[in-house]
Amino acid sequence: MKIVADLDLCQGHGMCEDTAPEVFRVVESEDGSYDQVEIILHEPDSGLHEKVDSAVRYCPNRALKIQ
Amino acid sequence: MSDQPRPKTVSGAKPEIGHYDDFMEHAAHFLYRAYQECGELAEFDLFGAKHVLLSSADAQEAVYRASDDQVSAAAPYQYMVPVFGEGIQYGAPVETERQQVRFMSDGLRPKRMKTYAQVIAEEVEDYISDWGDEGEKEFHDTFKELVLRTSTHCLMGSEFRHRLNDEFGELFEQLEHAISPEAVIDYQSEAEAFSTRDEARARLQEMLMKSVNERLAANAAGNEPPTDMLQSFLDARYKDGEAMDHELIPGMIIWIMFGGFHTSSNTAAWACLELARHPQYQREVIEEVDKVYGNGEDLSFAALRELPITEGFVMETLRLHPPLLTLMRQVVNQPFEYKGNVFEVGTNLVISPYVSHRLPEHFPDPERFDPHRPQPDHLFALIPFGGGRRKCVGNAFAFLQVKSILTALLSRYELSLVDAPESYREVMPSLILRPSSPCNLRYTRRK
Repeated sequence: MKIVADLDLCQGHGMCEDTAPEVFRVVESEDGSYDQVEIILHEPDSGLHEKVDSAVRYCPNRALKIQ
Repeated sequence: MSDQPRPKTVSGAKPEIGHYDDFMEHAAHFLYRAYQECGELAEFDLFGAKHVLLSSADAQEAVYRASDDQVSAAAPYQYMVPVFGEGIQYGAPVETERQQVRFMSDGLRPKRMKTYAQVIAEEVEDYISDWGDEGEKEFHDTFKELVLRTSTHCLMGSEFRHRLNDEFGELFEQLEHAISPEAVIDYQSEAEAFSTRDEARARLQEMLMKSVNERLAANAAGNEPPTDMLQSFLDARYKDGEAMDHELIPGMIIWIMFGGFHTSSNTAAWACLELARHPQYQREVIEEVDKVYGNGEDLSFAALRELPITEGFVMETLRLHPPLLTLMRQVVNQPFEYKGNVFEVGTNLVISPYVSHRLPEHFPDPERFDPHRPQPDHLFALIPFGGGRRKCVGNAFAFLQVKSILTALLSRYELSLVDAPESYREVMPSLILRPSSPCNLRYTRRK
């Protein structure tokens, strides 16, 4: 599993961080606009896959993808 | 002459006014005709202002991914400035506006959404508690009243919500009346709708400021701050550490209400109309709702997220009946290029969810309501909330709200049509598409 984020789409809602905090973190952006997702674990081990799937599914902007 | 490609022009332009008459008559139908005549890129003219309708997922993506210094949202939407106020949204520099939408996103974080889910569920339960075993209602107005309660509660807290009277809704309607094709041409004209708009805005400022000041006093007295949007705006900080000018907070509330109020209530009405039109799909949704209720779960945030059939139903409702007809950008600074076509500075780029959602390459047999349609792979094909960085920040809230209304209703009642099926039409009294009036539906308690 490899996760990628499309930052053009991210609005920093933090659904992913809420669902899988081991993998995602939402951080402030430099210009003060929307906070942005930061992927802390790009290739999480299998124990986290279910959580990551939910995080990807619940992103309101479909900004996350599993490759 | 170069052989550079350029858009085809829509037929029927008149001297001076261009396509204005056709646009005014029924903007959705005009735009659909524009696409049918011209294809992906269709040029039309409104009083000398050049507009290009872009109808393909790739073209939509190109516009939505373009930065603010290539395509401006503020330029074509200046008529919103008297509605939200100077210093807010497109009445502020883009650097400020970007931070203001972040304040909204902060107010919609998961922890807050969980509270809103509860508030909405309680409001809906309360609203339908005296409906009895069966009856008929005008669903468009019913949901306007209900969504006004739920949204003011989540935005302004329970004191404001319980003080709510007819005046607040009426003032909003007066603001909305001023958002019309006339406003697009000249929002500062002497027209009566515009002076009514300015008076309504001033009165709303007064009403909302009263609540802002009460909240500030309660906070200063050391009361536990409630979870609502107002508190979120009071707590928000620009990147330089400054709080918002409190006088601007009513404008933020009006802005977010404008984004969410009639769009959500309309969608709930359309969804109920489609449920009544399609008994077989209604049964599927009811079955899913019963599973959640049957488990003894309340309508929590988590439970409402796990309703794929209901969600598909709402998404198909939004596909066929997107509340917002168009989303506009204006080319700024330098010409904007798409597939070799060059759009000069000042050109208005028009994206129409109404048209995009009827493109046969993504939605075969587009006029058919089919909640089982797979979501298109292309991220920019299905765009009821727009796309990219400027996508509607409240989209998850909107889904939560509409699903909450539908699940509460369907756990008790079945819905059916009252009038002849063909009498329910799609009308466009303003720039929002809505079901024709009256939108009467019958509800019958489930056995």
